Amino acid sequence: MTPISPVLITGLAFEAAPAPADGGEYEPAVGTSREEKEILATLEDKAAAKTASDYQHIVWAYGILWALFAAYGLFLWRRSARLRADVDALRQALDRPPARGGPGA
Amino acid sequence: MLHLARVRLLRQSLLLLRSELRQELRDLELVLTSTFFTLVVLGMFYLSFAALEKKHTLPAVPGLLWLTVAFVGTITLTRAFDREREADTLRALLAAPVERLAIYVAKAGSTLLVLLVCCALLVPGLASMFPAGQVFWDMPLETAALVVLGCLGYVAIGTLFAAGLAGGGGKNMLLAVILYPVTTPVLMFALVTTRALLDKNPNLPSYLGQMAALDVILLGVGALLFEPVLVGAAPARSAQAARQHRREALRAAGRQEPR
Amino acid sequence: MKRKSELVVPLLFLAAAPLVVYSVQRVFLHTPNERTMGTAFKIFFFHVPMGWLCMLMAVISGVAAYVQLRRRSRTAAAVALAAAEVGFLGGLGVMLTGPIWGHATWGTPWTGDARQVTTALLWLVIAAYLLLRHFGQHASERLAAALAIFGAVNVPLIYYAVKLWKTTHPTTGVVAKLPPEMWATFWPGLSALLLVSFGLFAIRARQLVLVGELDDAYVRLEDSRA
Repeated sequence: MTPISPVLITGLAFEAAPAPADGGEYEPAVGTSREEKEILATLEDKAAAKTASDYQHIVWAYGILWALFAAYGLFLWRRSARLRADVDALRQALDRPPARGGPGA
Repeated sequence: MLHLARVRLLRQSLLLLRSELRQELRDLELVLTSTFFTLVVLGMFYLSFAALEKKHTLPAVPGLLWLTVAFVGTITLTRAFDREREADTLRALLAAPVERLAIYVAKAGSTLLVLLVCCALLVPGLASMFPAGQVFWDMPLETAALVVLGCLGYVAIGTLFAAGLAGGGGKNMLLAVILYPVTTPVLMFALVTTRALLDKNPNLPSYLGQMAALDVILLGVGALLFEPVLVGAAPARSAQAARQHRREALRAAGRQEPR
Repeated sequence: MKRKSELVVPLLFLAAAPLVVYSVQRVFLHTPNERTMGTAFKIFFFHVPMGWLCMLMAVISGVAAYVQLRRRSRTAAAVALAAAEVGFLGGLGVMLTGPIWGHATWGTPWTGDARQVTTALLWLVIAAYLLLRHFGQHASERLAAALAIFGAVNVPLIYYAVKLWKTTHPTTGVVAKLPPEMWATFWPGLSALLLVSFGLFAIRARQLVLVGELDDAYVRLEDSRA
């Protein structure tokens, strides 16, 4: 990220380049190379960006929830319309003017 | 007082149970159809799962056992109460001076006996078909306790709902619709306990104890609800049904008349 | 009496309206993203209240069914059915949004977690109750009441059974601790949802009572003419 780090790393590499001590048994340390770290960082950034802008799931979830409630509301509305028709039919059958407001839905 | 009532309840239950059994022994209808159905299901399971390796049969065997119990229980209960409905005996029984609880106990008892007869075929069948079922042979007492407790819990709920449907003149198709969701807890407990048995889990006694506790709860709720469900349904049935029909006809006419 | 009860529903919706707006803008604009789950976590704010709604309505339905059995009350029967319908709706919401959230965060829509299975089974019982009330003959109403009571009793039993059953399966950690600003978003959403659902519930219950009264009126009309 900063221009310091390559220097630092090469410096470390020089520093770490060992004075060959006792014969033959030395093995170089194995770690994450700079390239690997960069790849990892970009992948992590990508993943983070993806979870932070994952709108697809939310839109689906909230869309479904609100659609459910809207559907139930519509169902109730149609029911009450039918009930009102029934009440009116009853009033006509009774041959009585609808003076008193009945229990409206 | 309380003691006397309890003795009377017990005596009446035994009397009713005996009459149920006598009626069953006359033609063996329930036992024969249910055991035959058990064998058919067992055969189908064998054809479907014979090729499974042993390690795969281990989790499968408990499921097969309790699924079969659920299937057989449903058809047994359906048939048992169909018979009541055909002869309209349930209403006569409810009108008789018998404790309602005794009717519940007797019905549950006879259904439990039929289910246990089926299990007497089912468990050895599974044990010989699938290598994992070998444990059933090795631990016969525990197996018997498990089967009795599981079937008891199933019957405790099943009798209530089957009787309610028969008394209310409901439809048979609905029994399966109700029974499977409602009996899930018992069947799940039974499933877990069977799994513990097959695994030779040292905690098996505590699992069995939990099942016994569940049975007590279910029997309690079943006994508590039996009377309000049945007695409410039976006498009101004809009047309410007649009103319903009349109302529907009227409303159909009323809706067309004015327009 | 009628006048007062008619005011309840508009009041509920009136109270819910600003809360809905407030909670939605809070959820989408003012709540920081959860660290590991990102935006998908925002599903939580309406998913969990839906689950609670489902459970609450199941309990209300069970209690009303008990009253119905004891007192033969028509109002209780109407309340039980209305509560079951709204509970069914809530359960459906949970069951549909749950897999969406699970897909986004766990990578799999269904983990067999104890809460998932419990909710699914409870939802099945509610569905069975609705089937029985709609397709059972008139006299099976009391049986349906028994079913509703059983449904309510079953909830803890099923939860315990599923937990036992899960001992042989891997468990998934569900959100346990939330920072306070998340809760501050959660409560308005919950209240908004509850207000709206109670409004719908009240409408439905009144409709059902009205259906009963209409039936009576028609029968009385027939009696008077006969």
